[in-house]
Order: sequence, then structure tokens, then C-alpha cells
Amino acid sequence: MTSSTVVNLVLAGITLGAVYLLMAMGLTLVYGVTKVFNYAQGSFFTWGGYIAWCLSVGVLRWNYYLAIPITILVMFVMGMVFQNLIVLPLRSKPGWDFTVIIVTLGCALVLDNLALVAFGALSKTLPNLLEGNIRYGKFAFAKHDLVMLLTSLVVLAILQVFLSKTWTGMALRAVSQDNIGARIVGLPLNLLYSYAFGIAAVLSTIAGILLVPRTLLYPEVGWEVVLKAFVVMVLGGLGNIKGTVVAAFILSIAEVFISFIFGGIWAMPIFLAGLVVVLVFRPKGLFGQW
Amino acid sequence: MVNQIRKYSLLIGTLIILAILPAFFHASTYIMNILILCLIWGVMAQSWDLILGVASVFSFGHLSFFIIGGYVCGLAAKYMGVSPWLGYLLAGMVAAIIGLIIGIPCLRLQGMYLAIVTFSLQFVLPTVIVYFGPGRSQTFSTGGSFGLENIPSPTLFGYTFNRGELVPFYYLSFVFFIVAMAVIYFIIKSPVGTAFKALRDAEPLAKTLGIDEYKYKLLVFAISAFIAGVTGAYYATYFQLISPSSMTLDVFLIVLVMVLFGGLGVYPGAAIGAFVITIANELLRPTLSWRLVILGMFIIFTMIFMSKGLMGIPDVFRSLYRRRLRQRSDRSENQE
Repeated sequence: MTSSTVVNLVLAGITLGAVYLLMAMGLTLVYGVTKVFNYAQGSFFTWGGYIAWCLSVGVLRWNYYLAIPITILVMFVMGMVFQNLIVLPLRSKPGWDFTVIIVTLGCALVLDNLALVAFGALSKTLPNLLEGNIRYGKFAFAKHDLVMLLTSLVVLAILQVFLSKTWTGMALRAVSQDNIGARIVGLPLNLLYSYAFGIAAVLSTIAGILLVPRTLLYPEVGWEVVLKAFVVMVLGGLGNIKGTVVAAFILSIAEVFISFIFGGIWAMPIFLAGLVVVLVFRPKGLFGQW
Repeated sequence: MVNQIRKYSLLIGTLIILAILPAFFHASTYIMNILILCLIWGVMAQSWDLILGVASVFSFGHLSFFIIGGYVCGLAAKYMGVSPWLGYLLAGMVAAIIGLIIGIPCLRLQGMYLAIVTFSLQFVLPTVIVYFGPGRSQTFSTGGSFGLENIPSPTLFGYTFNRGELVPFYYLSFVFFIVAMAVIYFIIKSPVGTAFKALRDAEPLAKTLGIDEYKYKLLVFAISAFIAGVTGAYYATYFQLISPSSMTLDVFLIVLVMVLFGGLGVYPGAAIGAFVITIANELLRPTLSWRLVILGMFIIFTMIFMSKGLMGIPDVFRSLYRRRLRQRSDRSENQE
């Protein structure tokens, strides 16, 4: 392994990590605010990709840069509808923390197979956001990778500002810190839950649009990403944003190196083994609260 | 007493019906195949219910033990000439040991973490199986994504069970089903099952009485892994094939629907659910890709509207009946 390979791999890892971070942030936000483990997040990823594909290259042939904001809007609404239609009716039932896991799993099954019915098993692809490479001496870096990295970081920065400065963002944080307290002061909980799901759907859609040119688009594509995001989230400690960031980059760089050395299929088994080892010694993740 | 007789009559009636079913359907290989599948998935669903419903452990990796069992039995038979009977036992033991290896670190985790770790097994195991496929080594192959083929079927008194005659195979499956269901029943009725009931109903009290939750969870995890392993081995010898395609997300969710639709943690619920869902799954085959969409919606509706599954239906009727009685007594009081 030459030094230029190492640099390229690290760069690829950081890019990938930024995208995983988007997914993991969506999961963390939903878990923090609504206490739901959303297994259907991977399907949001897939459907975001498919809707963008439909609007741009697939069916309607709109300009790609016009298609993206519309996709994001559609997915935001879809996330909110999902919350109101599926998660909300369960909330009042006994043992809902278990039922909701199963129901989101069921939704993932429905959404993935609807994608299969609607678009077929044949892989689709989305265009790169920017074509071409940047060359600097021996190092080559695809412009799309740069877009991936910058977009993710910008989106995460916007999310951070939104959560810490705006009224809605602060309300979301209040709900995640103290649900009953938030209810007492009269925050509109259902609306906030819907926002959390909507934002998570948007984050996974952006992740989808960024990552699909690299991975192709097929009905089960979301699972791989969402499982890695789950590992990131658990390793970082549920609801711990700093931990999630660190975990995302550790895992993605590790993944790139594992794929390079042993082949791509070993990434997930090694992640899993690593996760179990970490959880044995720190049952709430690397940076979890004790 | 009357209640007990009613309970046993129901049990015996069900067994008799199951025993004479081949008399009606022996001509159709298709239906016999589905019936055998019902029995196999019945055991599988019930063993999953043992860990998921009775012990309330979020174990989503149960299908892994099924696949591990199938491969252990198949590989042992093909490469070491182990007879399928011994293979079943071996498969169960290996599955239980792997269950212990996974369970020892994981069962200390909280529900959500455990769910994710065990669920990831679902995705990891097939890739590992495919990796050790043909061409990886000279002496040993899992058959890759096509699966391990030509696994020998069990032989009894010189008779080899085969896919040509499904009636004997049906009765073998029936015996297997009864034995496995009885084992699960005795586990639920044993001190272990009682301990879990205590932990569920009055956790602080149960813990002060010295019930070690972790120890019992580990025990039940290993037992249910054992049963799942044996079931997987039986499935492999029945189809003479075991492949990673038995471990896709669809299969996982279908088995999960069986458990949930039957009723989580209510004893014969999962097996009944398995019968209903296996047949429904076959009936839905003409709908092609819509089948899984429909099954998925089925999960959602079951969980939203029938959270106790099929086993909750008698409760619904009972409460309706009680309400009728109460209304009647109210009315008679008003008249007085």
C-alpha cells in the first residue's frame, strides 16, 4: 500500500463517513425526539433515490437540479405522513416500543417491495452532481466526491444551526430531553414528531442522492446503508451527536480499508464483531452517557 | 375440571385433524408440501416465540440459527457421512453453542442494542456463506449462493424418506412437530418459564427473590437456538437443499408475521400463525411481487389493530360476552 493509496482511501472514507453521518443523524433525531427506532429509514433512502430518478433521468426528464429540491419536498411530506399514519396510532397502545419496531420493519418491507413492483429489480442510477476529477500531483479526487463531502457537511451545519437557533429546533431538543416537560409547557408534540420524521426523511434522501451514483439504485439498497448508520448510531451512543460524528468517520475509514484489503463483503461482519466487542465493555456505545 | 377437559379435547381434536389430513390430500404433492412446510415453520415460529414472546428478548437473529443448523447437518452429511439423525442433534448443538457465543455478550445489552446486533446477523451470515462457496477451497464448499445441494434424507428401518412420497414425510414432520411443541410447552411450564412470567409481571419482586434474569435469558436463548437449529437441519434434509436464499429479509419478516399474527408469548399462537401465514403465502403467490407488499401491510395492520394476534380473538369475544351479560343485568336491574 503506497502512501498515495492511503491518502486516496482516507479521502474516500471521509466522504463515505459524511454520508453515513447524514443517515445516522436522521436516525438519532427521530430516536431522540420520538423514541422510535425507524427501520423504514432505509426505504426513505431508496424512495428518495427513486423519486429523484423518476423526475430527472427516468420518466419526466426534468433538469436534475430542479428535481432535487422537489424530491426533498416530497420526501419531507412523506416522512410526516408516515409519522401521522403509522407511528401515531401506535403511541397510545401498551408495549408500543416493541410494536413500533415491528411496524417500521413492516413498512420497510412494504415500501421496498412497492419499489420493486413499480420500478423492477433492474438497477437504476443517478447522474453525478458534478462530472470530472480533480487532480493534484498523484492524487485524483472525483468532483462528485467533493460535492458529497461538502454537501453533507453543509447540511449537517444547517441542521445544527436549525436545532440550536430556531424555535422549532429548540422545541425538538426540548422534546428529546424531557417529553413530559415539553407536554406540560404546551409544545405541539405531534407536529414536532412529524417534523422529526420529515427531517429524517430529507436527510436520508440527500444521502441517497449523494450515494446512489456510487452504489446504484435497487429496491434493497437502503438496508446496507441504514444498517451501517445503525452501527454508527449505536457505537456513538444513542442520541450523542459528538459521538455519532466520531463513530461515523471511524467506521467509514475502517470500511474503506477493510474493503480494500479483504474485499467489500467483510466490512459488515467486521463492523458487527467490533460493535459487539465495544458494547461488551461499554454497553451504551463508545461515547454513551452512563 | 370442565375447562381442562375442554382444553384437552381441543388439543386432541387438532392432533387428530392433523393426523388424518393426508387421507384427503395425499394425491396432491403441492398441498402435502404446503402442509409439511406448515409443520416445519410452526416449530420455527414457536421456537422464536420462546425467546421473543416468553423471554421478551429482542432477538431478531433467530433465522441465523435455522440456517446454521441446516448447513451443519448438510455439511456433516456430505463431507463426513454423518447420518441425518445424528446430524439433527449436531445441528442443534452447534446452533446452541453459537447462540451461547452470541448471547453471552449480547444478552447483557438493552433491548434496542440487542435488536440491532442480532438483526445484523441477518445480513452478515449470507455473505459469509457465499464467501465460502465453490472455488474457495479444494475440500470444502458451502455451495455459494446456490446453496448446498443433494443433502441426504433420513432413513428409518431401511426406508429412505424421499420427496417422491410425501405421506411418510408428512408423518415424520408431524412427529417432529409434536415433539418440538411438547418440549417448548414443558419449557414454558417449567421453573424457567415461570421465572420469566414473574419477571414480566413483577420485576422488582422477582429480582429480590433472586431470579437471575441474565442466566435464564441465556438458557432460553440457547434452547430456542437449539430447536431452531434442529428445525433448519430438518428443513435441509426435507428439501435436500439449504441456501442463503432461506435467509432473505422476506423470509425473516414472514416468520416474524407468523409469530405476531398468532400472538406473541401466548403458547400455541405462533404455530397457529405459522399455519395461517404459510397457507396465505401460498395463496398470494399469483400476485407475484405484490405478495410481499400485502404481507407487509398484514404486519402493520396486525400490530395496529390486533396486537395480541389470533390468540387475542377469544379475549375479544369474552369481553363482548361479558359486556352483553352486564347490559342484560343492567337492564333487569332497571326493570326492577
